[in-house]
Amino acid sequence: MQAKEFKIRWGMVIDVDKCTGCGACMVACQVENNIAPATPEMDAWAGVTHDASNKLRTLTWMLVYEINNKKAFPEYEAAYMPRPCMQCSSPACVPVCPVVATDKNEEGGIVSQVYPRCIGCRYCMAACPYHARYFNWFDPTWPTGMDKGLSPSTSVRPRGVVEKCNFCHTRFQQAKDKARQNGGDPNNLPDGAYVTACAEVCPTGAIVFGDLNNPEHKVHELAHSKHAFRLLEKLGLGPQVYYYSKREWVHRLGDNYLPNEKKA
Amino acid sequence: MGLDRRAFIKFVVGGAAGTLFTPIPWKLADDASIWSQNWSWIPRLKYGALTADATYSKLCPAGCAVKVKKVAGIAYGVEGNSANELSKGGVCPLCATGSQMLRSPSRVAGPMKKDGDKFKPISWDEAEALLADKLKGLKGQDGKVAAISGDLSGTANEVLSGFLAGLGSKSYYYMPTDQTAMAKAWNGVMGGSGQIGYDLEEADLILCIGADIMDAFGPVVRNQKAFAAKRPMEGDKTLTLVYAGPVRNRTAAVADKWVAVRPDGAAAFAMGLVNLLVRSGKSASLGGFSDFADLAAKFGPEAVAKLSGVNPEALKDVAKALLVAKNPVIVVGSESGQGAGVALSAAGVTLNAMLGSLNVLPEFPKAVASAPDRAGLLAKDLVGWLAAVDAGKAPAPEVLFVYEANPAYSLPQAGNMAKTLRKAGMLVSFSTFMDETAAMADLVLPAPHPFERLDDAQSPYGLGKATYALATAVVAPEKDCKGTPDFILGLSGKLGVDLGFGAFEDVLKAKVEAIGADWDALAGGAVHVSDKKGSTQASLDAGAMSKALAGIKGEGLVLIAQAHLNIGTGKLATPPLNLPTIRETELYGKDVFVQMCAATAKSLGLSEGAKVKLAAGGADISARVNLSEGVMPGVVAAPLGLGRTAWDPYTKGKGDNVCKILAVSAEPGTGLSVWAGSAVSVAKM
Amino acid sequence: MEEKKTTKCGGGFLAFVLGFLLSVVAGWVVFPGLLYSELDQPIQFSHKIHTEDQGLTCDSCHFFREDGSYQGMPTNEQCTGCHSDVIGQTPAEAKYVQEYVQKNKEVPWRNYQYQPDNVLFSHKAHEPFECTECHLDVAKADKAPKYYENKLSGYSKQTMKMWQCERCHAENGVSNACHVCHK
Repeated sequence: MQAKEFKIRWGMVIDVDKCTGCGACMVACQVENNIAPATPEMDAWAGVTHDASNKLRTLTWMLVYEINNKKAFPEYEAAYMPRPCMQCSSPACVPVCPVVATDKNEEGGIVSQVYPRCIGCRYCMAACPYHARYFNWFDPTWPTGMDKGLSPSTSVRPRGVVEKCNFCHTRFQQAKDKARQNGGDPNNLPDGAYVTACAEVCPTGAIVFGDLNNPEHKVHELAHSKHAFRLLEKLGLGPQVYYYSKREWVHRLGDNYLPNEKKA
Repeated sequence: MGLDRRAFIKFVVGGAAGTLFTPIPWKLADDASIWSQNWSWIPRLKYGALTADATYSKLCPAGCAVKVKKVAGIAYGVEGNSANELSKGGVCPLCATGSQMLRSPSRVAGPMKKDGDKFKPISWDEAEALLADKLKGLKGQDGKVAAISGDLSGTANEVLSGFLAGLGSKSYYYMPTDQTAMAKAWNGVMGGSGQIGYDLEEADLILCIGADIMDAFGPVVRNQKAFAAKRPMEGDKTLTLVYAGPVRNRTAAVADKWVAVRPDGAAAFAMGLVNLLVRSGKSASLGGFSDFADLAAKFGPEAVAKLSGVNPEALKDVAKALLVAKNPVIVVGSESGQGAGVALSAAGVTLNAMLGSLNVLPEFPKAVASAPDRAGLLAKDLVGWLAAVDAGKAPAPEVLFVYEANPAYSLPQAGNMAKTLRKAGMLVSFSTFMDETAAMADLVLPAPHPFERLDDAQSPYGLGKATYALATAVVAPEKDCKGTPDFILGLSGKLGVDLGFGAFEDVLKAKVEAIGADWDALAGGAVHVSDKKGSTQASLDAGAMSKALAGIKGEGLVLIAQAHLNIGTGKLATPPLNLPTIRETELYGKDVFVQMCAATAKSLGLSEGAKVKLAAGGADISARVNLSEGVMPGVVAAPLGLGRTAWDPYTKGKGDNVCKILAVSAEPGTGLSVWAGSAVSVAKM
Repeated sequence: MEEKKTTKCGGGFLAFVLGFLLSVVAGWVVFPGLLYSELDQPIQFSHKIHTEDQGLTCDSCHFFREDGSYQGMPTNEQCTGCHSDVIGQTPAEAKYVQEYVQKNKEVPWRNYQYQPDNVLFSHKAHEPFECTECHLDVAKADKAPKYYENKLSGYSKQTMKMWQCERCHAENGVSNACHVCHK
């Protein structure tokens, strides 16, 4: 799919050298997007556990991976990589959807996912190389009373639909409304007027969010830094999430390199 | 003509054809598809005005400055308070789900009394009368009434400890943490006053010996923000972070250097640094320093290597870095935030003193005049007392209050401790949630959730300046609960103990006035920071230190329990939304995983995923092995926070409680109960 | 014999036309009545009393908040500014004060322009338009109009479908991208 050009391109730069893997971003994401907790029961008929340790069933739109340099003690080094949806410039998931439940067409470049249109064929999940898409195997169930306070930002999805990170898109709309109310330009939001839940809560500020095309936003300069890289760059999907690290081994884990291949 | 079959069929066909020209088929198809997208069991969202009310969340040990997000007045989320100069809008993984915990299935619905095996609801008046009756007969007898508090920063402790003092009891204990170990060292053994502080904001080199500042030590959000502020992506870093400990934990992951130090040898490592600094001409203006320096001379690089496993070159490099830095700060503690000894704490204080970084925060004035001094209480040894009760050397209390703590779960040798706690005549828990201690209590008098109550935090341990924060009730209580200090004030009235206040709000208002802060600003989310410094006068006890250090063996398999904030704390089990943040290398299904490097595994004849039993302190746990090169040889790392036996189905029965096998010993020379880097045996199952 | 045939064919054609017409009538006249149930608002609210007699303007109760969101249907907080106690003579007001204000309950108003949760609508972005472009004109109405609820889908009869939004967006050159209207 050819990359579409947008005036605004929402993106992130995530500092892997600063992420402590605390998981606050994962928790804040679930709170903002009404993701129900993983229930403890076993699906006896399938022998499948819906328990949160079954990572094939958890809905983790934001997921923190633990990576290491594969060396033995004491050269061993570890780092943490939060992975939201990459909101690719030419996403692999969009052309394969048989019902156009997902598309890349809104100014800002956020890949949309419309739940009522999704038929749950999971073709997009197969296409996404970042495993950023998740399928609702179960209807969401909250512990009694815990669904009293649901976030008004995201609709609750029934079983059978695919969902993924949408860069807290409702906050974008709210920022635009606020700009209109207070005399600002909704199409030229200042840095920090619209931040995702994960970036907002991060205790180290490792996640920086903003408009990659706007030189007044921090991410613009950071994404062009020589320490910035993207995951699986060679696939040519053009992810809008950049990772930042001063460590060579972290860069090399970002894609598939031959043992002696020099990184571009 | 009469209606015959053909006419009838044509009539029907006409009807069907006509239907196509009506909205019926199209509307029904459309509406049916909409019906299939709106199942009645999928919750509908509520809409309304979006507000964010500022408060201070005490769900995590140090607390986070937060704003509770509400829609149409219903709390649904949490955001950080970006105006707070310490947390700068960051939130820890526990406070981030604070709104969900308001409706946790493990919340205690109201005051309850144990009746046989089950709990029976009672009224607050009945509870007060019951306790007043019981306590009347115990007034004036020391040791009969005791209290354990897990809230190390709240003024509520003044009410509770003042109440106990009014009943003639001195048995008020804080749950053991790095802060209590440091208080024993600084306020107890060294005779200092005030609270040790760490000015991370001004540091250009931070050396953590054991203390996991990003995950388990002190105010983790502020620690992370202070660290991040000096390592901007777009500029040069102005801070070097060195982590000295046995495991490549989350602090080590972002540190510039990881120095592998055996947890039982951390104090020797610290003394090795003292020695190298002395040899470079550094000294500290602490009493008894010259004797201390002589003691440090025994800890040359080779001796340190034997006791702590630290490479002599690495030790010298660290010392060099400390000498070159302009504002080095050394933070000492235990990886799990508990169990460190006086030796390590005192060595840490000395290192900071030698480098001009000794930072002492003055205590804020008390609001309840009759309450004992906080520093004195922090220096007491809860584990030691319970061990004495267990051995019959001290009487079991008739009434034991447990406030904001879960000792039956999170004390070392937890299984034994739980039995000892049960020896109390009447165990009263003020827990908001049905935790392990509340489950075995005789009386549960639930305190409101932190968002529902008035509370405060004075200088959470780890900050660099005396700081005061106020928490106000921003959510109406979801259950029938009562603020513990208010309950105690009511009870004290019935027992003729005059604490000088009728309501907790008055206590806090007096506190705020005594501090010289503005109540309205604090209630709006501001934090009061004082530049005043405490006295750095203290004296080292080289004799006691020598005995303590002589106890270090530096060999054998040792256990390091890791506290990960996202998994929860002793008093807050994993919130349901945090469950996906636990890795399969820490917990899978019902199996908890312990980490060890390939070398250690080989020596024990174990492979990846092997089922093992870990035993120490007269107890054992089952686990599986996860090979990780981030654990130094000779050390087994295990995650805390699992193996719950109460709470709710989300957290219950997963893994095992590592606190059971934290073996306690008395530190020679000081007598403090210690368990950091305790020995453990691992056997294949 | 042939006469009979002709008559039969004629009768058959008539039957077809009869069936056709009957179903068309049923589809256009009877069906809507069957599909929608007619409901009333929980309180018979009179706009006329508030706008004409009391001189309130639209934005006394329907206004944009500081953050750009829209206060659509007023909550008790707005209404009790005047109606914390009964101030008029109508039975509707008495019912409101008794059953809602005094019990601290919000009135479950039925939203004529109901949209499901997956729809994201911003009033601020549509501020230049007249309210009546999409909403029923009730500014001078003495009684709240009947609420017609679709028995199958649960939506209101006035619930705008996607094509209505799309058409106006296309006519005005505004994006019809998914995320503009969905969440």
